[in-house]
Amino acid sequence: MKAIQVIWLREIRAFRGAFSCGVPVAAFLAVYGWTFVMTLRNNEGSVLQIQSIWGLSAAPWLPILSAVLTMRLFAEERATGMIDLLMSAPIRERDLVLGKFFSAMTVMAVTLGLSLLVPTLLLPALSAPLLTPASAAAIAATALILLLQASAWCAAGTMISVLFRNQAAAAVSSLIVCSALPIAVYAAILTWMPGLRAQVAWMPLLVHVYDFSTGLFSTAVIALYVAATLFFLFACSKLLALLRLRG
Amino acid sequence: MLDVDHITFSYGARRILTDITFDVAPGEIIAVTGRNGAGKTTLMKILACLLMQDAGTVRLQGIDALRRPVKYRRGIGYLSEHSPLYSDMTVEEYLTYRVRLKGERALRVRRRVSETLAASGLSGMQDTRIRLLSHGYRKRVSLADALSTHPKLLLLDDLLAGLDRPQRKACAAALAAASSRASVVVTGHEIDEMLDWCTRVMVLDGGRIAALFRTSDFERAELTERIDRLLAGPPGGKEAPA
Repeated sequence: MKAIQVIWLREIRAFRGAFSCGVPVAAFLAVYGWTFVMTLRNNEGSVLQIQSIWGLSAAPWLPILSAVLTMRLFAEERATGMIDLLMSAPIRERDLVLGKFFSAMTVMAVTLGLSLLVPTLLLPALSAPLLTPASAAAIAATALILLLQASAWCAAGTMISVLFRNQAAAAVSSLIVCSALPIAVYAAILTWMPGLRAQVAWMPLLVHVYDFSTGLFSTAVIALYVAATLFFLFACSKLLALLRLRG
Repeated sequence: MLDVDHITFSYGARRILTDITFDVAPGEIIAVTGRNGAGKTTLMKILACLLMQDAGTVRLQGIDALRRPVKYRRGIGYLSEHSPLYSDMTVEEYLTYRVRLKGERALRVRRRVSETLAASGLSGMQDTRIRLLSHGYRKRVSLADALSTHPKLLLLDDLLAGLDRPQRKACAAALAAASSRASVVVTGHEIDEMLDWCTRVMVLDGGRIAALFRTSDFERAELTERIDRLLAGPPGGKEAPA
């Protein structure tokens, strides 16, 4: 536990001063803000609630943000050789992975918290008569699904970062795994296996966000994201152990 | 203290180390030398648990490096060949981070860091950013890191490479002090200097131990000549261990 905390603190510090953190977070907030405004405009007169618009505007950009945030976690350590010092320290691979993963998740949570300022403070202040404020429970449910999705993306990104010394290669690979691959698989199923349509109808990730934001909880969906996160983190610690086999 | 027993290691089909066996007693400093590619760094990486040997065992005070890796690693201090450090930290911040990471109790961290800074001759530099340090001082910070938790075994890969004479002397002094409570394995090509403070010299050649000399058994000139002869000869040459 102590080792996780030490690594978490180190990574938070590294994130604080890193170009690879401030710029992507600012870019995420900018594109999210634009998506939010466009979604609001396109749904004028509809029954879409404000927390749903928040979730649906933030979710598509999470894989990109997580890929950029996690790309340096292990790739940089491998490029500089610091990985040798970390691996020769008396800590388990699992602690190393968790410390780094939690640091990325902390940045994700803070970023999502900042994105929440638009629907909760900014928008009501600008157009108070037009909006009924979202309930805290609805916002919490939307935040939960966004954090669950972010944790799966961050875990995948952390795992992929172990495989590379080049941060850009790690980011591109994370993006492929986190965005392009699910979309491609989903499109392929819809195109070539129409019989499976009903089974995968729940797959689109935005549907999960919409459901949670409107109070439709599903333990299966929670289990899916938790399982994905645990799988990627487990694979990450095993990949690190594998580095000991072949350097 | 350290028992290395019939270690063998290959990268794919390429054999890097073959049947390496030696032991290091408490307080002993063993210098490992050899041509480039002889397997010195690979041996150090195996001793530091960074690589897993194909066969053989490594034990530190009876603790097997593969069976109980965390406990084994608690007993070692490792200096990597290229001395990587976090450039955004100051010397003190870096050492504090490393001491905490190695599991030192919170109450002792501050004391350990001050002791280490003093022992490594870095007392006046604790607030200097690592990115501003010269190669020599970076190496000394790495050495300080390796020494920080008073390990039982110090593994120093290419300790003297790229250091000027005063830095080498400072490193040697720090090492001499540390050897009173630790066994030391140090690699390098600077055999003349290492002979000043090591107790045994191991010459690696083509991944095998070509010779293992006890420095007290030879006149310095004779020992240097023997080592030079081994390093200059054809790969695979072997001298009977002393």
